[in-house]
Formats: sequence, C-alpha cells, structure tokens
Amino acid sequence: MIPRLGALTQDTLWCFSQVKGTIEIGATEADIISTVEFNHTGELLATGDKGGRVVIFQREQESKNQVHRRGEYNVYSTFQSHEPEFDYLKSLEIEEKINKIRWLPQQNAAYFLLSTNDKTVKLWKVSERDKRPEGYNLKDEEGRLRDPATITTLRVPVLRPMDLMVEATPRRVFANAHTYHINSISVNSDYETYMSADDLRINLWNFEITNQSFNIVDIKPANMEELTEVITAAEFHPHHCNTFVYSSSKGTIRLCDMRASALCDRHTKFFEEPEDPSNRSFFSEIISSISDVKFSHSGRYIMTRDYLTVKVWDLNMENRPIETYQVHDYLRSKLCSLYENDCIFDKFECVWNGSDSVIMTGSYNNFFRMFDRNTKRDVTLEASRENSKPRAILKPRKVCVGGKRRKDEISVDSLDFSKKILHTAWHPSENIIAVAATNNLYIFQDKVN
Amino acid sequence: MEFKLEAHRIVSISLGKIYNSRVQRGGIKLHKNLLVSLVLRSARQVYLSDPCPGLYLAGHPGTPAPPQQLGEPAAGPPAGWGEPPPPAARSAWPEPEPQPERPAVPEVLRTGDAETAAAVTGTGDALQGGEGEAAEAAWRRVEGPRETAAGGAGGPAGGSDVFPEGPRPARRPCGCPPGDEDTLSAAPRMDCCRTPRPAGDQPPATPPVCPRKRGAAGVGGGPAGCPAPGSTPLKKPRRNLEEQSGGAAVAAEEEEMETGNVANLISIFGSSFSGLLRKSPGGGREEAEGEETGPEATEPGQICCDKPVLRDINPWSTAIVAF
Repeated sequence: MIPRLGALTQDTLWCFSQVKGTIEIGATEADIISTVEFNHTGELLATGDKGGRVVIFQREQESKNQVHRRGEYNVYSTFQSHEPEFDYLKSLEIEEKINKIRWLPQQNAAYFLLSTNDKTVKLWKVSERDKRPEGYNLKDEEGRLRDPATITTLRVPVLRPMDLMVEATPRRVFANAHTYHINSISVNSDYETYMSADDLRINLWNFEITNQSFNIVDIKPANMEELTEVITAAEFHPHHCNTFVYSSSKGTIRLCDMRASALCDRHTKFFEEPEDPSNRSFFSEIISSISDVKFSHSGRYIMTRDYLTVKVWDLNMENRPIETYQVHDYLRSKLCSLYENDCIFDKFECVWNGSDSVIMTGSYNNFFRMFDRNTKRDVTLEASRENSKPRAILKPRKVCVGGKRRKDEISVDSLDFSKKILHTAWHPSENIIAVAATNNLYIFQDKVN
Repeated sequence: MEFKLEAHRIVSISLGKIYNSRVQRGGIKLHKNLLVSLVLRSARQVYLSDPCPGLYLAGHPGTPAPPQQLGEPAAGPPAGWGEPPPPAARSAWPEPEPQPERPAVPEVLRTGDAETAAAVTGTGDALQGGEGEAAEAAWRRVEGPRETAAGGAGGPAGGSDVFPEGPRPARRPCGCPPGDEDTLSAAPRMDCCRTPRPAGDQPPATPPVCPRKRGAAGVGGGPAGCPAPGSTPLKKPRRNLEEQSGGAAVAAEEEEMETGNVANLISIFGSSFSGLLRKSPGGGREEAEGEETGPEATEPGQICCDKPVLRDINPWSTAIVAF
C-alpha cells in the first residue's frame, strides 16, 4: 500500500477502524488514557493511562489478500510503567499517571520509549523473544540443576523457536530531578539526549546517565511570591539538536539555542501575540495559557494550543501567529461555567499530520477537529460507539450556537463536558489517527477507495 | 452591581478550588493554582473598581446595600483583616456553633464585604479545613512581621519558610488526623488542637492550629477571626439581615464563618505575593510590607474602603501562589 500523506480535501473521508478499551460504564479512573503516541514508523502505537500502565499496539502486516483492509493494531505489549509513590519528606503522593510517552528512533531489533509521570522518567526497552536455548548441560529442561556426577556427555545448547514473547524492561530510571510536576519530555534529534520539563525548570539528560542532568531553563523566581508564569510544554526541534521551544501559561513561546549559553534563561526568540482587548474577561489569562506546543515535521513552524484556539507560528515571525483556528469558540460565553466545573483547565493537545498540511485537536462531547491549512477547510468528527461499525464513514458534526437548531446539529448546552478528547496522535506518514476518548482508544483511517 | 456579584461569586469559587487542590492526589498543581490566583486577582480588580456604594461588611450575601448597617460597621474596625483581637474582644466574641470547618476567607470577606463572604460560604463544605492548613503555613510564614497578629494561627515555628519548593505538605501541622476534612466533628478536633492554645493574648507558642479547631472559638483568635470590640455589633446587623432575607442556611454559615478560620486565610495572605497582583515581578516587596503592617494599624471607622478590602484580597492571591 502506498502511503498517502494526509490532506483534508473534499475527498477525504474518515472511517472507523478500531476501538480499544472497555465499553462498560463502570470503567475505573485508572483506565483513563492520558497519552497516545505513534512511533517513528507508525508501526507501533503506545498509550499510557492514569493507572501507570503502558499498552503498545502493533500494526499487523497487511495481507495481500485483503488490500481493502489496512493493517489493524493489536496489543503487542502491556506493562506497568509507574507505580504510585509517596514522598515522605514533603508528605505528598506522587501519581502514577503517565503524562507523556515518547519513542526513540529504532536502532536495532528492540524498541525504546520514554515514559514519565509527575516526577520520574523511565526508559523502557521492548523486545521480542521468539527463540529459547535448549540443551543445557548443567540444567534440565525445567531449569533445575543437574547433579554433575550424572553428566556423561556434553552437548551444545541450541536455540529453538518458541511462542513470541514481548518483554518490556526498564533500562534507565531518571529520578529526583524535578521538584514540580513534569509536563513534557522530548527526545533530541541527536538521539543521545532528551529533555524533561516541569512547571519551572527544564532538564537535559543523557540517556546513559541517570544520576545527573543539566538544568537548561529555570524560571523559578528567587521569591516564589513573584511567580507569574509557568512552563506548560517543551519540545526539541526535529532537526536542530541545539534548538528547543517551551510554552508558558501566559500564552508565550520561547525558542532557545543551547549553544548560546549553558542556562537558556534568555530566549533566542520570543513568540507572543498581543491580546485582543475586546475579549478581556476574568478568564482571559486562563484561556491564553498554552497547553501544548509541537514543531511541524519540517521544523519551520510551531503549533500551539490554548483553550479555544490552535495557532500556527512561523519560526521567523515572532509578533503573531500566521494562522489561528477556532476550535470551539462557542465556549467563549460559557467560560464562567467551565471555570466552575474545572473544564477550563483541561489541557488539550494538538498534532500535525505527516505532511504538515492538516492539524488536529480535540474538544468536548468526544468531538475532535481537523483543520486543513491549505484549503482552509475544517471538520468536526466524533469518536463514539454509535459510529463504530467497521469502515463506517464518520459524519461531520456541527455545534449550533444560535437558537435555531438544525436536525443533525447539537446545541452547545447539550454538549457533554465529561467526554473530552485531550490526546490524539497522527500516523507519521499515513492517514491513520488515534483518538483517546476517556478510557477508549479509537483508530480511524481514511477511506480506501 | 452585577459585576460585583459576579466577581464575588468567582472569588468564592476560586477559593474553593484552592482548598480542594490541597487535598487532591498528586500534590498541589502549581499551574492550576497560579491560574486560579490570576482569576482571583481579576475578580478583585473588578470588585474594587465597581463603584457600588452598597458594599457593606457584614451584610447578607446578595443584599445590595443594607443601609441600616452602615453605621455599625463604622464602629467595627477592619480588624478582621488579620489583626489579632484585643484581649477584651476575645471574651466578647460569642462562642459560635461548632462548625470549625468554615473557611476563613468568608470571615475576612464578611468584614470587608458581605456578599463575598456569603458567596464563599456558599461554596460550603468544599472550603473546609484546607484553608486552615494553608493558613497555618502562611501564618507561620508571616510570623515575623506580624507578631501582634500572630494570635490565631499559632505563632509557630519562627519565620522559617514553611513552604517547600514543591507542593506543600498536605498534612496539618498540628498533627490532627489527616484527611478528615470532610468529616469534621468539632469536638475531638477542637480538643486536640485547641488545648495548647493559651487563653491569653500571647500568640500561642504551640504549633498551628487546625482551622477547624479555631473555628468554633474564633478566639485564640485568629488574627482575623476576632475583630475588635466592634465585632459584636457587627454581628447583630447581619443577623437582622439574615432574618430578613430568610436565608437561614446562609445565616448559619455566616456565623460559622466569622469564627475563626478567617484568621487562617488572613494569615496566609498576610505575606506578599504581589508579583501576581501587579503583573510585574519584583515589585512586590514594598507593597507586601505595607500590607503586613496595614492590618496592625487598624483604622476604626473604616468600613469598606479600598484599602482594607485590598488587604483582604491581596493576601489571597499571594497565598495561593505561595503554596
């Protein structure tokens, strides 16, 4: 199958492919998916949940017999990445929720990923074992030691096939480097270092060294009472190993160059859009807080998500974004209620497609939105069990703001704010998307014609 | 006027969130609390800038401007704003119902703004206990400059920085059984925490009192809990209002509020945090110090001018981010 880079033209129709997760209403909070990430080839799809578990799906090889059915994702490995911990010194509990997963590029037969909770980053090695040695001299088949006196011959152990076993082992644990809650990790393009960012600091790690990290950004004021902003997300440039960006709760993005100084407190570039005074409200600051920042695959643009919009910035223009997309502007008049029920603090993520032509982000009522940067079209789709028939085409959804509601529209007041899509992922080269809806993972593909 | 009410409501909701954040799993989220404190600041600004004359201290929530009380609040000094009650006041302070969990904030608000107070109580149980912890910690923190105001939160621990860098401890310093915020039973807790408190004027040397404990008595006096002699008259008008409005539940809550936990919040806020309040970092010092000395210099006759209210709300924002 020739990979098709996604473009949201009029011809693109998204179809349901699979859904993972339980259906019953009594799903526990531990099952809530907290991060979704494809690996660099798209062969593997990892999810992390609030219970500290990581589930990896692998795409099955596409069979020649079923060209109309592209490879499905099946469970490949499941392991407990983080456990709840208790910091006795500070008397606080450390949640096991997986905040982020990032894959390392594959360099040998094994797969490596980084997973993090609020305080600790772990490097996991996921490897397959499909052979096992048999014919030991000193051990019998069950592993019990044999009495040397009974051994009369020598033989060479041989490897025999066995059922495929996928094992995940923690290879490194990077702990005790963060006072505040880790919100981001990002693997550097040199594949030797990565960074972890919490509310006030960003640390640079070498994969081989767990007992040291370099602090490269520190915005903690000398007097905590003077704190005005925190770091909300950070990411390395996809190609330049010296460049990274981090976003703040004030709606600004700073691009830093590690060659300039050891401590990158002084930014190289500062991206900020002047506030629109006509939109000022009690909650202006909250909704301007950036919840996610992502470099485009090309490295020329960054995309940021705040509560109501997604913005695309050109790295060469700092004073305003080049594109702004309204995700759910109908919520602007409801900010007070959303503040009351805490929804205004939801941190939505955003993703690019493989060709950087389409961007996607989530919303409420299990809606998610896609914006085509070239055609300026946008579409709202829904991840729901009702649309879960195999290869069922997703129907675009519409939220009606005014009084008159058309037949297929849903009114703002009917939106279910408990069903939120915070985490989505786009296959690196194909039109396959993974959408996390609470404890279910939906996989959609574009229609194969 | 609507702006004021809206701001009022938002303030109370925000305080509820701050409280809840302290009992949340995973520790206090700095980002969320920062945002909440920003909202608080915005609400405060609106509140102060809205030229509504009816801002009465002890009025019933929602009652726009009870003119009949205007006289009395004048007598009631803004002592509620963090100043320790004079010894005489303590005895004058009626023993409130054992509802220690009432948040301190409402108390402060009550003295400064009835509506706000009411709204805060409206948030109800959500505000139990947690404020106290923050209050205590903040209390300790501001120990230095506020020696006279130390009455309530228990002058503890020297001014050592009780705020660890990271999320604050969720445990109450006084050693009361943790996690009970929702099951306040006044009696046992009061016993355990109130005992060490001297009846006198001295700030208790023992460590922090759980807000609950203090709540009932209001005595040990949280700094804000027991206003000066004018407090009693303050109470009356409020009761009248409450009867008038018929909101019995609210009335009860308000009375509880008065009692004591207010002090906790005041204490939290006593220290500076002006960085948030003035939008530019580094400018906070002078203002903070001004605020801290403010409460000590009580101004009788001041009902609700900007300054006292400012004292109230500044501290909130600051304290919020503090922890």
